[in-house]
Amino acid sequence: MATIQEKIQDLKARQEKVKQGGGAKRIEKQHANGKLTARERVEKLLDPGSFVELDQFVRHRCTNFGMEKEEAPGEGVVTGYGTVEGRLVYVFAQDFTVIGGSLGEMHAAKIVKVQDLALKMGAPLIGINDSGGARIQEAVDALAGYGKIFYRNTMASGVIPQISVIMGPCAGGAVYSPALTDFIYMVKNTSQMFITGPQVIKSVTAEEVTAEALGGAMTHNSTSGVAHFAVDNDDECMKQVRYLLSFLPSNNMEEAPLADTGDDPNRMDAGLNTLLPDNPNQPYNMKDVIKSIVDNGEFYEVQPHFAQNIITCFARFDGQPVGIIANQPSVMAGCLDINASDKSSRFIRFCDAFNLPLINLVDVPGFLPGTDQEYGGIIRHGAKMLYAYSEATVPKITVITRKAYGGSYLAMCSQDLGADQVLAWPSAEIAVMGPAGAANIIFRGDPEAEAKTAKYVEEFATPYKAAERGFVDQIIEPSETRPRIITALGMLASKREGRPAKKHGNIPL
Amino acid sequence: MRKFKVTVNGVTYNVEVQEEGGVSVAAAPVAAPAPAAAPAVAAPAAAPAPAPAAAPAAAPAEVAAGETPVTAPMPGKVTKVVAKPGQKVKKGDVIMILEAMKMQNEIGAPADGTVKSINVNAGQSVKPGEVMAVLS
Repeated sequence: MATIQEKIQDLKARQEKVKQGGGAKRIEKQHANGKLTARERVEKLLDPGSFVELDQFVRHRCTNFGMEKEEAPGEGVVTGYGTVEGRLVYVFAQDFTVIGGSLGEMHAAKIVKVQDLALKMGAPLIGINDSGGARIQEAVDALAGYGKIFYRNTMASGVIPQISVIMGPCAGGAVYSPALTDFIYMVKNTSQMFITGPQVIKSVTAEEVTAEALGGAMTHNSTSGVAHFAVDNDDECMKQVRYLLSFLPSNNMEEAPLADTGDDPNRMDAGLNTLLPDNPNQPYNMKDVIKSIVDNGEFYEVQPHFAQNIITCFARFDGQPVGIIANQPSVMAGCLDINASDKSSRFIRFCDAFNLPLINLVDVPGFLPGTDQEYGGIIRHGAKMLYAYSEATVPKITVITRKAYGGSYLAMCSQDLGADQVLAWPSAEIAVMGPAGAANIIFRGDPEAEAKTAKYVEEFATPYKAAERGFVDQIIEPSETRPRIITALGMLASKREGRPAKKHGNIPL
Repeated sequence: MRKFKVTVNGVTYNVEVQEEGGVSVAAAPVAAPAPAAAPAVAAPAAAPAPAPAAAPAAAPAEVAAGETPVTAPMPGKVTKVVAKPGQKVKKGDVIMILEAMKMQNEIGAPADGTVKSINVNAGQSVKPGEVMAVLS
């Protein structure tokens, strides 16, 4: 019979074997492809030494097609928990060196276990994807595995932040777990996501496309809008995930962590008084406004490459994390279109779910006209913004810097959609449509049209008509925007707003 | 299926042409990568070759492999062309001003390069996606 010492040695040997994953040769190949191993990724993500691994010895039980002879140390996925800046998180990382990181029944069971734990404990879940897809030999068991993961992704949505990191192939049904989570990171050149790959596409539609062009990091970050962040390599990616988590609460019952940023809440910036061009038809960079007003000029942009006519980012005001939604006049005039509506609506709903106040910086000329937009359903897509802002119960502060016209004025969270405070710069133009267009209708055929139009512009392309009705709470000097927002956030800290009891609303999708 | 051998600028391309529902379609696998072949392929396929006549009044926008088109992000009117053909530009440098949505939008270079052609004139209206300039 083995002695206790021998048993301990045996345990160590077994653990060591699991840690080696698919073996030195495959690890070398992983490195040669510019990728870290699953374990290295987890180590980089978590605080040093905090990782606790679960289910090291889980084994598959498939006996089809010679699978009984196939050893899969760790079942192709590393799971467990640890901390990021001292806060609990759960993590799973698929191990491409072990039968291609393919997902079978027990591989899925390991993921499901950390999903359940994360939801029970109210801690963020980070999923690192690097997998060839379903383990075909396991047939419908593999499919059931995906289904169980999707179900838990949905149950956890809006309860804990879920972050997906794509660091290799992620194809077919596998893409839907990341798609159901809050944020997707993709590493440039080494990650791909697609429902059907280049070969299937070629055989069905005769289109020739490379995997990178079809579903690479930049495709999903700039064209499809599926992913939120594109990063250069695994190392940088893990740093950014940690950074993102610094803005987020651990769950929907908590407040986001306050930080001591050292930036004076009363700091004013005279530069804002001269930032806007005198001609309202000239663009400026809204990011200059954001940089000026947030703590230390620091903000983390979400989907920086997609629908650049609207900016969505996390930042802090006097240490308090917020979500900022801002029109960008220097890209497509800052108009709202289908992609901008989708991008911002999803962001608004995330912020509302996780108690992050919404700061809306408005300079919007309107919705983009065109058959593309109408046929593409801008009506239902644009409606998402109205819905998302209306249903949000977090503090909502709207700052109108310049244009706020028609439906887009409402869509950027006007007071009627529940903005708790609406601030306007003196340069604001709040009206039902552009002054030239409006005058064209009102004074059509009038011989004095030109003079009357000028008068109209003077009277209506201002914040004062809206302020007369109380739709604007304060008209402020641009330079004092930061202290005004911080004071308003303080005033709104105890905001409580109910909604009628319902199963869930029916957001136009 | 009929096979043609087409020679363009001394380069020979094999082109297969198949009749489909009464309309001749050129099944040429050489569409985007070899632009010189594109107009030539159309010629043997359709009977009344409309190639040069159909070109718009402004310079035709030909984008070859490795070249970057500058496309209109939205419908509008070009008010000013800033860059000149032959000029070297960096990503973000203003190529032209497109007035749309009550804004004089600066259309920047999508990448570093040299302006190969400007395909619009000031005052001209453009549709979304229309190639307004080409960088090489």
